[in-house]
Amino acid sequence: MAAAVRSRRVLATAAAVAALAVAVVLSLAVGARPIAPSVVFDALLHGAGRSGEGDVVLELRLPRTLIAVLVGAALAVAGTALQGITRNPIADPGILGISQGASVGVVLAIAFAGVHTLSGYVWFAFAGAAAASVAVYAIASSGRGGATPVKLALGGAAINALLLSLTTGVLTTKAAALDEFRFWQAGSVAGRDAVIVAQTWPFLLAGLALVVAVARGLDALALGEDVAKGLGQRVALVRVAAGAGATVLTGAAVAAAGPIAFVGLAVPHIVRALVGADHRWLLPMAALVGPVMLLAADVAGRIVFPPGEVPAGVMTALIGVPFLVALVRRKAVPA
Amino acid sequence: MTAAGYAVIRGRGASFLVHRRAVAVAAGLALLLASVSVAYLCVGEEFVAPGEVLRVLTGQPSPADLVVGTLRLPRLVIGLLVGAAFGVAGALIQTVARNPLASPDIIGISQGAGALTVTAMTFGVTSFAVLPYLSVVGGIAAALLVYVFAWRGGLHATRFVLIGIGFAIALRSVTTLMMTKGDYLVAQQAQIWMTGSLNGRGWDEAAPLGWALLALVPAVLWAARAQRTVSMDDDTATALGVPLGRVRLGLVLLGVVLASLATGAAGPVDFVALLAPQIARRLTRGAQIPLLGSALMGALVVVLADLLARRLFSPTELPVGVLTAAVGAPYLIWLIVRGRTGGGKA
Repeated sequence: MAAAVRSRRVLATAAAVAALAVAVVLSLAVGARPIAPSVVFDALLHGAGRSGEGDVVLELRLPRTLIAVLVGAALAVAGTALQGITRNPIADPGILGISQGASVGVVLAIAFAGVHTLSGYVWFAFAGAAAASVAVYAIASSGRGGATPVKLALGGAAINALLLSLTTGVLTTKAAALDEFRFWQAGSVAGRDAVIVAQTWPFLLAGLALVVAVARGLDALALGEDVAKGLGQRVALVRVAAGAGATVLTGAAVAAAGPIAFVGLAVPHIVRALVGADHRWLLPMAALVGPVMLLAADVAGRIVFPPGEVPAGVMTALIGVPFLVALVRRKAVPA
Repeated sequence: MTAAGYAVIRGRGASFLVHRRAVAVAAGLALLLASVSVAYLCVGEEFVAPGEVLRVLTGQPSPADLVVGTLRLPRLVIGLLVGAAFGVAGALIQTVARNPLASPDIIGISQGAGALTVTAMTFGVTSFAVLPYLSVVGGIAAALLVYVFAWRGGLHATRFVLIGIGFAIALRSVTTLMMTKGDYLVAQQAQIWMTGSLNGRGWDEAAPLGWALLALVPAVLWAARAQRTVSMDDDTATALGVPLGRVRLGLVLLGVVLASLATGAAGPVDFVALLAPQIARRLTRGAQIPLLGSALMGALVVVLADLLARRLFSPTELPVGVLTAAVGAPYLIWLIVRGRTGGGKA
């Protein structure tokens, strides 16, 4: 039994790594100008050389691909952590309003603080994400029944609406901020440069470390709060650490690519089906599968309406809704 | 025999059971609405005395003709109509769902209307003779989608709301996509429209909305009577031979059409449909959500919010939806905290 589980997990990990490799190559090769994989490999191994195609790969598509990998991993791990601490299958940074919180932070930074760089955005994004996640969790867990899926989703919807109206209020009064904001808001990994990669990964690592550190606590929490306490877990500490990790991950992802919904919802479920409920496996696997989903969405967005592109965030929303519908219909979501 | 607190009004061929307190509340709201409307016409960049406003309204020549008659009046009319339509829409859908959360702006109907309208705007359709009808199509399509996907041998309120929220997010992202496609001016127009705005609306926009709503008045009167049968439980209704399923469908459909029309005219003015019926019901203290009260309350909320939106940060005008969301979202939070969100079949 144990051996079967282990070999299944190893197999799943190998498959995820392979899928990620394929997705990365596709992301580098597919676009307005298709580039043969051989040229892609050549550019990666030996530099751009004199070919224009090599330049496209290294200058444009490589940073974009790396951003998608980082953001996909961040959102998937954040979603896994949120589903773990809330014991709620529909927890997702987008649905819970955390991404919107980060967005508001960025809007305020653009409109009032004169901040126009990612390293500036990101702190505002963290503040917004943290405020929103605390607010939604406080709303949902008060009153009868605790933080049920419906209350979390509604609390998220309420916070989403409130923050959206704040965003619009700012953007209407500060017209200059709108043009910068509207592209960023669509949730896109296009046109982001290598500097953003360099600025994002430390935050990603920090968030990941926070969440992974309490992986066993999340496992215990899945059995219920009382059991977790009985097992010697400090429940509050686990919640705070995982929640802070999820907030940092979401804030960094949103600052880098705008709000992208449903990656954090779908990936944890896919991963759970692959490797079981152990968070020490779930979290790394989510970090592998999240990028695959976001890369696939981004590549699909490049080819559905040529010559234009559909932002990755729109594609994940369209892919994610059937997923949510299936989850809710399967009665995986208790009232 | 008439239940306590009710009176019967008999007309030719029809009789209405009237809740006495509801009548008093409606009269009070109408009075309040009238005074807020006059204030709405007086206040602005340029203050116009109430006397002048009355002269314009009664068609006498006045120096305020342009400001009041051409600029403020059509905008007020749209605000009244949109608010009333959202109020009634919310009342109908909440009645059928027996859930105070079932509101067109939460379960994706407004977002569907918005997505199709902004898409059309992006592709160069700007005529207000067309956009409202596209909104209706988008709203009905979204409602159908949510209904179909939430149906599983019956409709459960929780499933319905969750799936509705999911579709709302997806449809909003379609709208966002369309905004990145259009040029800057279209984007700005769409951004303001999407939050719900009465800014710059004239008779060209007010007239089609007015005619469409006028055409729906008989349906609303039917709904007022049908509303009572819907509150019966299924067994009683079946025993009495009431086609409950069809009545419910009719009420929801009317609600969707009203919400979509209002969305088409002013954008998704969030939370009015959620807020107005519940306030009206609290005021009348009845078991039913009063339709007339919801209509008046909705109109009051929108006109008051727009008055504030116009003046709060003048000379910049905020979209009215910013104000209604600022009030409505905390109310929704209060509903959640008070635990008024579960239960009920949709």
